[in-house]
Amino acid sequence: MLRMIDVSVNYGHFRALKKISLEVNEGEMVALLGANGAGKSTIFQTISGLIKPAGGAIEFMGKRIDGLPPDQIVRLGVSQCPEGRHLFPQMSVYKNLILGAYVRSADRKGTAETLQEIYKLFPILEEKKNDPAGSLSGGQQQMLAIGRALMSRPRLLLLDEPSLGLSPLVTKEVFRVVKEINRAGTMVLLAEQNANVALRLVGRGYVIENGEIVLEDSSRGLLSNAQVKKAYIGA
Amino acid sequence: MDLFLQQIINGLTTGSIYCLVALGLTLVYGVMHLPNFAHGSLYMMGAFITLTLIKSSGLNYWLAMLASAVALAAIGIAAERLVFHPLRNAPHANNLIAAVGLLLFLEGLAHVIWGPEFWQLPTPYDRVVQFLGLTITQQRLFIVAATLVLLAGLYLFLKKTLVGASIEAMSQDRKGASLVGIKVSRVSMLTFAIATGLAAVAASLAGPINLVYPSMGHIVILKAFVIIVLGGMGSLPGAVLGGYILGLAESMGATYISMAYKDLIAFAILVLILSLRPTGLLSGGVK
Repeated sequence: MLRMIDVSVNYGHFRALKKISLEVNEGEMVALLGANGAGKSTIFQTISGLIKPAGGAIEFMGKRIDGLPPDQIVRLGVSQCPEGRHLFPQMSVYKNLILGAYVRSADRKGTAETLQEIYKLFPILEEKKNDPAGSLSGGQQQMLAIGRALMSRPRLLLLDEPSLGLSPLVTKEVFRVVKEINRAGTMVLLAEQNANVALRLVGRGYVIENGEIVLEDSSRGLLSNAQVKKAYIGA
Repeated sequence: MDLFLQQIINGLTTGSIYCLVALGLTLVYGVMHLPNFAHGSLYMMGAFITLTLIKSSGLNYWLAMLASAVALAAIGIAAERLVFHPLRNAPHANNLIAAVGLLLFLEGLAHVIWGPEFWQLPTPYDRVVQFLGLTITQQRLFIVAATLVLLAGLYLFLKKTLVGASIEAMSQDRKGASLVGIKVSRVSMLTFAIATGLAAVAASLAGPINLVYPSMGHIVILKAFVIIVLGGMGSLPGAVLGGYILGLAESMGATYISMAYKDLIAFAILVLILSLRPTGLLSGGVK
């Protein structure tokens, strides 16, 4: 399980995260809701080791991971599919996926197996395996980004705004697969602005505002919460 | 016609040297977003180390060039660790200033160790061959052949190995590379080592036809910058293409226009191409 305890992050004098505490338990899928700039991506970057926290602790499977370099965090089983995807645009789909398994490159057989699993989840990726990643449509790129993140066989997948810029139909398809990934045993922490969609998928959620957790509840509780409705669902 | 063919050969020779220098420059730029002004001084160090090894220990030309490439790779790694790595989070201007500082330091060092004289690098390939009625020194053929072998090797390394892919990945998306677990500092060191190693080979190849002296890197680095701007910053095929275009244009210009304006041609081409295609011929690699 993942546990953040009172994690604070500063950007210069600006306090981007204020004593964030959250957890994702074995088998869970948890949503992180909040507007643009609330701090969702900062939380993800901090978990992945791209930003060093100014205070607090992050534990994964009982081990402190704050302060570790990003590659070791991936090795421990935390993989991030970042906002904006950050694919390698001039490389083929296949090569992007293979690089996703960079930390376990010694395990050739296992990598080949995982690759087949990803192709099964997203058949379009196998069809387009020789095309440069930059030539794919937005939805296909998002699938590739998720596929690449799964190539390291993570125990926890950090999924940052996967629905951004996708049509409702493609979003549905992407989330169907995310649900499948979670059912197979991978923990998922999902950051979304689209609370309506996210809350139908997860068990629990946190609401972030200005770098602080202001609300924490089951998805049912959040869906019926008047504040959440007003701010994130628009109903 | 003979003169024309002769100039093609000369252009390919100079172009090969340009290619190797520009490739290193563009690799470092692609991965670290650093325009390394000191690249020309590292090239100069490569020439002097080869020269010293041949003159003082009588090492064979090949072995001396190889040893010099290894030595420069080590110097490149040291430069990355001691100069650029500590500045990785600093404002961009600091990197530029540090690169100029490194340039001045290396040049000063060369003056102290080897003095300001001009040297010629001895080569075993100093004979002349007759080919299709042309007179070509073996060294020129050797330069072109060696460059082609290196280009093929670099291509295979980048496209067919995982380590090579990690370099490409970092130049295409730095954050994406970190998130799949590629070690940024290891790739930076490796990139520097390859770039400076290539520079050492280029300098050792050019040493017998040009001269070796402490400021020999100046004009080379200027041209290498023209080439990578021409080819598209961070683009490896662009660096190769730009290198040969420049080499050929210079030798043609020197023959048919004027020898005195040889070095001007590079900059005339730069102005011309940038006004037609501001992003360079083959922009890519770096977004």
